[in-house]
Amino acid sequence: MTTPIVEMRGIVKSFGAVHALKGVDLHLMPGEILGLVGDNSAGKSTLMKVLTGAYHRDAGEVLVNGAPTHFRSPHESRDVGIEMIYQDFALCGNMDVGQNIFLGRWPKRYGLFVDRPRMYEEARKVLDRLKVDVNSVFQKVESLSGGRQQSVAIARAISFEPQVIVFDEPTANLSVMATERLLETMAELKRQGVAQIIISHRLTDIFEVGDRIMVLKRGENVGDRYIRHTSEKEVLELIVSGTRETALTADEALQQAA
Amino acid sequence: MALDVTAASPPQPRPHLPAQLVAGWEAGLLAFMALLYLAGVFINPAFFGSTDAVSAVLRDTARFGVMAVGMTFVIVNRDLDLSVGSTLGLTAVVFSILFGPTHLDLGAWPAALVCLGLGLGIGLLNGALVAVLRVPPFIATLTMLFIGRGLVLGLTGGKTIGYEAKARDYVFFAFGETNSIGFNNQILVFLVFAVVGAVVLAKTRAGYETYATGGNEQAAQYAGIATRGVRIRGFVLSSLCAAIAGLMNVAQDKGVTSQYGQGAELIVIAAVIVGGASIVGGRGRVVGACMGAALVVLIDKVLREGVPITRVIDVGGVKMEVAALAQLPPGAVPAFLGLILLAAVLIEPWVVRRNLLGRLKARLLGQEPPPALEVGGAAIVGVQTKGAVSEARGVGARGLRAFLHRRDAAAILLMAALWLTGLWLRPDFWGSLDNSFNLLLAFTEIGLLAVGLTFVIANGDIDLSVGSVLAFSGATAAFVMKEMGGDPGAAILLAFLAGTLCGVVNGWLTTRLGLPAFVATLGMFYIARGLAAWLVAGRQLSGFPESYNLIGRNLFELLNAMGMAPADGFALALARAVSVQTIFLAVVAIAAGIVLGAMPFGQKVYATGGNERAASYSGIDTARVRFLSLVFSAMCAAAAGVIYVAYYRSFNPAAGLLRELDAIASVIIGGGSIFGGYGTIIGSLAGAAVITLIRSLLSLQIILPDGSSFVMPQHWMNVFIGLILIAAVLGDIWFRQQDILGEWRRRWQARAQAKLSEAR
Repeated sequence: MTTPIVEMRGIVKSFGAVHALKGVDLHLMPGEILGLVGDNSAGKSTLMKVLTGAYHRDAGEVLVNGAPTHFRSPHESRDVGIEMIYQDFALCGNMDVGQNIFLGRWPKRYGLFVDRPRMYEEARKVLDRLKVDVNSVFQKVESLSGGRQQSVAIARAISFEPQVIVFDEPTANLSVMATERLLETMAELKRQGVAQIIISHRLTDIFEVGDRIMVLKRGENVGDRYIRHTSEKEVLELIVSGTRETALTADEALQQAA
Repeated sequence: MALDVTAASPPQPRPHLPAQLVAGWEAGLLAFMALLYLAGVFINPAFFGSTDAVSAVLRDTARFGVMAVGMTFVIVNRDLDLSVGSTLGLTAVVFSILFGPTHLDLGAWPAALVCLGLGLGIGLLNGALVAVLRVPPFIATLTMLFIGRGLVLGLTGGKTIGYEAKARDYVFFAFGETNSIGFNNQILVFLVFAVVGAVVLAKTRAGYETYATGGNEQAAQYAGIATRGVRIRGFVLSSLCAAIAGLMNVAQDKGVTSQYGQGAELIVIAAVIVGGASIVGGRGRVVGACMGAALVVLIDKVLREGVPITRVIDVGGVKMEVAALAQLPPGAVPAFLGLILLAAVLIEPWVVRRNLLGRLKARLLGQEPPPALEVGGAAIVGVQTKGAVSEARGVGARGLRAFLHRRDAAAILLMAALWLTGLWLRPDFWGSLDNSFNLLLAFTEIGLLAVGLTFVIANGDIDLSVGSVLAFSGATAAFVMKEMGGDPGAAILLAFLAGTLCGVVNGWLTTRLGLPAFVATLGMFYIARGLAAWLVAGRQLSGFPESYNLIGRNLFELLNAMGMAPADGFALALARAVSVQTIFLAVVAIAAGIVLGAMPFGQKVYATGGNERAASYSGIDTARVRFLSLVFSAMCAAAAGVIYVAYYRSFNPAAGLLRELDAIASVIIGGGSIFGGYGTIIGSLAGAAVITLIRSLLSLQIILPDGSSFVMPQHWMNVFIGLILIAAVLGDIWFRQQDILGEWRRRWQARAQAKLSEAR
């Protein structure tokens, strides 16, 4: 059995009296697409922020490629290849596509100046790898549609050559067409071996591209299923009335069903 | 309020006043005021010991209190009205012109009515600019401040209007008199305003709408509140109150000078903030604001009255003790008021919300500190930029079209057009070497300030203090050479350091304490100018070493002093035409242009201004970028101050007055956005050139066809510059950012379509 690229064990996180996470486990295999679902306040975003180091866990372990880690900020998790794409993309509208892809780490020439030719060339390469159509790397981001803006955010993320990308509600602000394109992009990333975690309320999207789906409820695991062997109905039931007992692992659930 | 001092757990729950009306904060204010008054009595018993002092303080409080009532509505709305002082002055002047027997000689009541109409008009204008045309409130009302001041100067011609004799026959002036019970009628007016204002804000629907709009405008909008109307209402109230304060002022003084209401906005805003309002809106009470007004007026009085001292003087070898008054020099008081404003703004986010006192107590007692309520301070969330102009390369334009796609194209074209206008008006004079030399000189000061400000504005911040920092740095240079006998080198160094220090304070307040940049630099605006006036004791200083003055001369004089002057020919002409400061500006501008346009720091500036959160996610230390930009802006202003003194060979406390307006207008005209994310050095320089050219065109002596000549009175200049700034900001927001013409066209087309289909 291969080592999971990310493994989280018994994660506990409290905000004062609120217990956001009560011992959550998560594992992600290389090249896998995992859907993370659950009601509001189930702890999905908190779990991902613990993973990227935006929050510090109270207890539990986070292993990347089998090695224990203690990220103090998202910059440190970026160094080991974990990228997060925020719901509002976190782009600068006044700058162009190339400048946004290299936000904060613009290539330098003579150690002083921004190397524009190289920046645009690299940006173009990244966009080609993603197979998305953004007309020009010179376009201002604010003149792009929501879907294209997201493509830029994804291009930015993959320019770091990540092993894992976390999407926070990627389809929440997109049109149907743009959602279709995004799902294609995700499949393309999977072919390139990038593991992905998708936080989403839209089960349909996860069922289209995902390999596995994990359900959280009030800070606990209540289910883990392979997409191929489950249905939207079963997942909905888990979201609404799942308990610790229904949790199982995806493999256990498969055996029980058999 | 966290400072609730009501008795601990009363035995029976009894009805008490709602928190919006009065709370522990006001109790604290009262106690502080009593202490301060006692301090006043202690240091100056002759003045503060008398009952006259009490009534004088109350009388002055009345005017500022009335304005504070209106301002409370504005600040709770999350807006700011900087124009109240000039509105006061303008109404006082308009009343005097209408009423004064030397002018229009109307009755008192019609004149007062016109003044109220004027207040209403100014309020509506402010409101429309802010709520409908979406100009940031501090820019809109700051411009109104300068326009109003310009109008006051223009209308009075800087002269005093008095009508003591005529006023005796009119009942109107009883408002400014002491009544039979022994106190001034203005206090009655104030009480009426305070009570009505307090009840409206705390008890009525209009008041609740104000709190909702200030707390979360979007939520209020979704809930069906017409937030635009609420904000316009706030500005109208504030202007009306200022107009009434102006009428109270003329009723008392029966005359007017062009100085009326100068700096009143500072006292009023400080009063409202001291009274417990939050500069980021949603919090504030009228009662608190009124007490704040009393407190700030009291501080103002204590500062102005001075301390009686005995001074030993030497008369012909005999030492004599003379009673004297240690007073602040004129113009220095605002330094303290500015400090109070900043301190008051910081109290809410740092002391109250983060429970500083509670945590300090816990630490002293060695207990577990209580958790801070909310970390994050009072930073205003920036407006996301939206633009309709895309980069030329994005649309594949080349040549002229590529140039026209630049945001700074308009400024460059305008600059050329204005220069040609000058040539057309005065072909004999405009193109001459003399005029070009003078234009370049005038350009240097604005250009230097604009270069520094470009960084700040591209960052999404603002620096309102550049003109004052210029004055402070100039005053330091003058002080070091004149009073301390320092040599020019030390003077330049200390002046530069003094200005830079202002920038460090600005940056520290903005990035570390989380104040919005316009508040922090507004405080510095008053502090630096007050300090400048203090240093030179409100006088004009001159007579500096000629080696220092060379900074402000042309190249020829510098080379001549060094004994290597060019003898003749082209070199001589060039050396005479180019001055040292122009070369300095060129060097600074080229360096700044390279940093902003081609180096990673410049990219960081644009990223921070475009989306600060995104920039910090990608590892940019946005606080550092904003800090450095504010410091650089102050450094440019400091350099401009050093040059000012050298050029004029003297220092005047009015140095750099209104320059912040010129500089902001330059950057905006040159393609900068008031919301951040845009601005180039070339554009800002072109913008500065536009402002310089407009100024010199306005003061150009035009020779009419019949041989007579005409020149515009200088008093009206500020009105024009203010109008230009507003036009530039509006043009930026509506044409560059929102593509409003396109939107109107689309809407109009859609409506035409709808009508067409209806007709079928």
